[in-house]
Amino acid sequence: MSTRWWSSTEFAEFLSKLVPDSISRVEENACYLVPEKLVEAMMALRDDADSNFVHLTNLCAADYWDKFEVIYHIQSLEKNCIASVKVEVLDRENPVLPSVTSVWHGAWLQECEAYDLYGIRFENHPNLTRILLWEGYPGWPLRKDFLTMPGGLQPGLNEFAGTAAKPEPPVHTVE
Amino acid sequence: MSEIVKTEPFVMNIGPQHPSTHGVFRVKVTVDGEQITDAEMVIGYLHRSMEKLAEERTYTQNIPFTDRTDYLSSMSNNLGYCLAVEKLGGLSVPARGQAIRVIMAELQRLASHCMGAGAFANDTGAWQTPVMWFNRERERILDIFEMTSGARLTCNYMRIGGVAFELRSGFEEAVRNLLPRLQQTIADGQELLAENEIFIARARDVAVVSPETAIGASLTGPMLRGSGVAWDIRKADPYSGYEKYDFQIPIGYKGDAYDRFTVRLEEMRQSIKIVEQALDDLPGGPHSTEVPLAFRPPAGEAYARIESPRGELGYYLISDGGPSPFRFHIRPPSLINLSVLKEMTVGASVADAIIALGSVDIVVGEIDR
Amino acid sequence: MLSFLATDHWYDLRDLANLYRVVLEGLDHIFPTGLVYVLTALLGFIAFFVVFVLPSQLYVGVYGERRLIGRMQARQGPNRVGPLGLLQPVADAIKLLQKEALTPRSADRLIMWAAPVLFVAPAILIFAVIPFGPRMVFADIPVSLMYFLAISSLPVIASFMAGWSSNNKYSLFGAMRIVAMSISYEIPLVLGLLAVSVLSGTMSLQGMVYWQQDIPTWMILIQPIAFAVYFIGVSAELNRTPTDIAEAESEIVAGYLTEYSGMRWGLFYGMDIAYALGASAFAATIFFGGWSLFGLEQWVPPWLIFILKTYLFYFVFIWTRGTLPRLRIDQLMSFAWKFLLPIALINLLVVAVERLIWTSNDLPDAIVWAFGAVNIVLMVGIVFIWAKVFKYDPKKRPTKPRLVNEPGGYRPVDLEQGGPSL
Repeated sequence: MSTRWWSSTEFAEFLSKLVPDSISRVEENACYLVPEKLVEAMMALRDDADSNFVHLTNLCAADYWDKFEVIYHIQSLEKNCIASVKVEVLDRENPVLPSVTSVWHGAWLQECEAYDLYGIRFENHPNLTRILLWEGYPGWPLRKDFLTMPGGLQPGLNEFAGTAAKPEPPVHTVE
Repeated sequence: MSEIVKTEPFVMNIGPQHPSTHGVFRVKVTVDGEQITDAEMVIGYLHRSMEKLAEERTYTQNIPFTDRTDYLSSMSNNLGYCLAVEKLGGLSVPARGQAIRVIMAELQRLASHCMGAGAFANDTGAWQTPVMWFNRERERILDIFEMTSGARLTCNYMRIGGVAFELRSGFEEAVRNLLPRLQQTIADGQELLAENEIFIARARDVAVVSPETAIGASLTGPMLRGSGVAWDIRKADPYSGYEKYDFQIPIGYKGDAYDRFTVRLEEMRQSIKIVEQALDDLPGGPHSTEVPLAFRPPAGEAYARIESPRGELGYYLISDGGPSPFRFHIRPPSLINLSVLKEMTVGASVADAIIALGSVDIVVGEIDR
Repeated sequence: MLSFLATDHWYDLRDLANLYRVVLEGLDHIFPTGLVYVLTALLGFIAFFVVFVLPSQLYVGVYGERRLIGRMQARQGPNRVGPLGLLQPVADAIKLLQKEALTPRSADRLIMWAAPVLFVAPAILIFAVIPFGPRMVFADIPVSLMYFLAISSLPVIASFMAGWSSNNKYSLFGAMRIVAMSISYEIPLVLGLLAVSVLSGTMSLQGMVYWQQDIPTWMILIQPIAFAVYFIGVSAELNRTPTDIAEAESEIVAGYLTEYSGMRWGLFYGMDIAYALGASAFAATIFFGGWSLFGLEQWVPPWLIFILKTYLFYFVFIWTRGTLPRLRIDQLMSFAWKFLLPIALINLLVVAVERLIWTSNDLPDAIVWAFGAVNIVLMVGIVFIWAKVFKYDPKKRPTKPRLVNEPGGYRPVDLEQGGPSL
């Protein structure tokens, strides 16, 4: 017995019955959802008895130079099956996506991480902060164009251009 | 009375330098007396940006990086990464290589759980004794790793398509001598810790995670199994030939810290069973397939996962056909298991918060990567 | 009563008081009387220090404890400095003297400085009333039991001062915990010792030793409840595991000692050992017959017997420290108030009745053995009733997880097959 991977066509067929108009396109290895319908579709997938995707295994983002993708690996423990769902974020300047923390609490830290490293803002996230890097870190390091980003590490520079703008931390002295 | 004497909550930092945070990990707790009213974790002290670095290196060069994420179970990390690359490239591993991988991964699980169980006992206040007893056996496992791969902690032993070296002569004897000792240590841990009144009083009903919360919060590994959810990747999605071995999944009753501890002890017993079976019918043949050093898998993506000692360790790789991964993502079980930290600690006392943190068995290298 | 120690020869080392007296008389011929007292007091102090404090502190307290705990923890312990590591405590002391005693900027300097000093004084005062032999007691006051109780509660104040003045949150936690715990455990401790005092009819430690010598018996056999209460209470007061919540290393770093360094910390550390030795000496006196050992004290120096008993009792402290986990503060509190206090009260009542029966009927001394039997039965009965009331059943309690073969979702607990019961 091993985990059954839902093929993208099968998944699209299933989801289009469950939540109409939630699929933007279907590719060979994954099914792309419409961002506006993301939470609704995920909620339906979690609650429907046939899919039963109660466990968000993996959430990560990827940068394809011209767009971002957020990849969700969702699985059902009882049915022992897993599916890969993707969402495209086309706006590089202001990438926004609805948060799925209302569906799975486990998305909390993974969305924080994606925000931290890619700058994708997840709307309705309870506490979207940078977790690995500090607030005010210049740029989003896992983007492909990190080195040429404004405020990022420019070629030929030894330190971050944004460092100078950062105020010195206040030194508290007692007495 | 309340008008004259009033208390006010104050913020206390547990970590980054604290005996019980198992690394540079910090929790900002707001306490009202001994009771915690809010907890916020602060991580990132050990962030090395491995996912970015890996995009610049070839697939083989990335294997040592995986050693350094979860530094207490480097063999498991190697295995997970190699499985992902093999899935991406459509490679197969010879039977002997698979069996060696299973032996190594299970020995690593034993070593890691030795550390986890011992450190958890340390958190309950059994001052250093259990951790030293467990560490003594862990050292012997690390000796075997050193004998096989040349390194104790960051082994870098698995390769794409198999393992790096053939087993040394005397390996099997060394492992077979070790296993009874490990059984004895686990039995000691069972008798002296799991059946100890004070230990039960401290760990039972502390940091309870209900099964619904555990599944919803994407917990995996002993955290999920402690809550009574039967889920083990080795059973559910067997990799590297785990379907051939006979073992069982331990699951807890209530989902408290004590259940997680006993689940870890039981997993150690099951691991010993697996190692024995793997040693009994260790197949012959080559230990690895020939894979070019600058391996170029076809464009595509792969998500491979294994049951690491801490939970589901996933590697998500995207290839653009080049010699290095286009995207290298690690699904860190330690980080995601911390999703329930707030649920476990708020309302508990400071002493219980330490127990809760200890029962997660975090490795900060994996949280921060 | 001292017939067996009738010889007054200075070479009779069974009681060092002879030697002391001879020295005193010899000096009396040379020096004026006032100076002799000063000189002999100094001499006695140095002798006490060299014979008891130094070996106890350095070699039983520091070296022995570290070696033994090392053995318990599957490691060697100190073995590098000097032969068998015997110079390790000396090296530690030198290191501590050299280290800078840091004071945080926001600390209350005066109180932070005063706390270790105040911590040291009671530790030395405790030994004033401990009888090392028939005549080897510095101050044989009739209420030495009360003296001991009064003195042994003082270091709590010093600990609290240390924790409060450090201006560190961990220190504050430790300070609050130690105050709360000491107040809670003082009460059953006093009640337990009161029962001992009631049965033996004396409040003098020397008197209790004579009482045990005359029967002859040990108080632990007659009053096991009082001993249990004393042992638990005193280990809570001394901050030894399983009750070391005030300096719980895994929770609040080092409790009230967090900000201390150098010799200030060294004083706390050393005096912690001194208090543990004092408590051991006290237990050896009251519950284990003190310097008497069923007639053997005629042949072996009584002070040697006493010191050996003290060290054996101290070994129990080391043993618990090396093996047991720590309890939580609310568990300790509820244990003190809900179990220890009632049991100490019941014990006091029973012992008072026994004492009344004994004295009003003019029964022989051997009757205390019957009392002892009654008390042991009482203790076992109370523990069993306690377990019954709280439905304590270790066999029903699952200590191993369930095993399943197939993965899947949540497996509900089958309560028929022994669900958790705690």
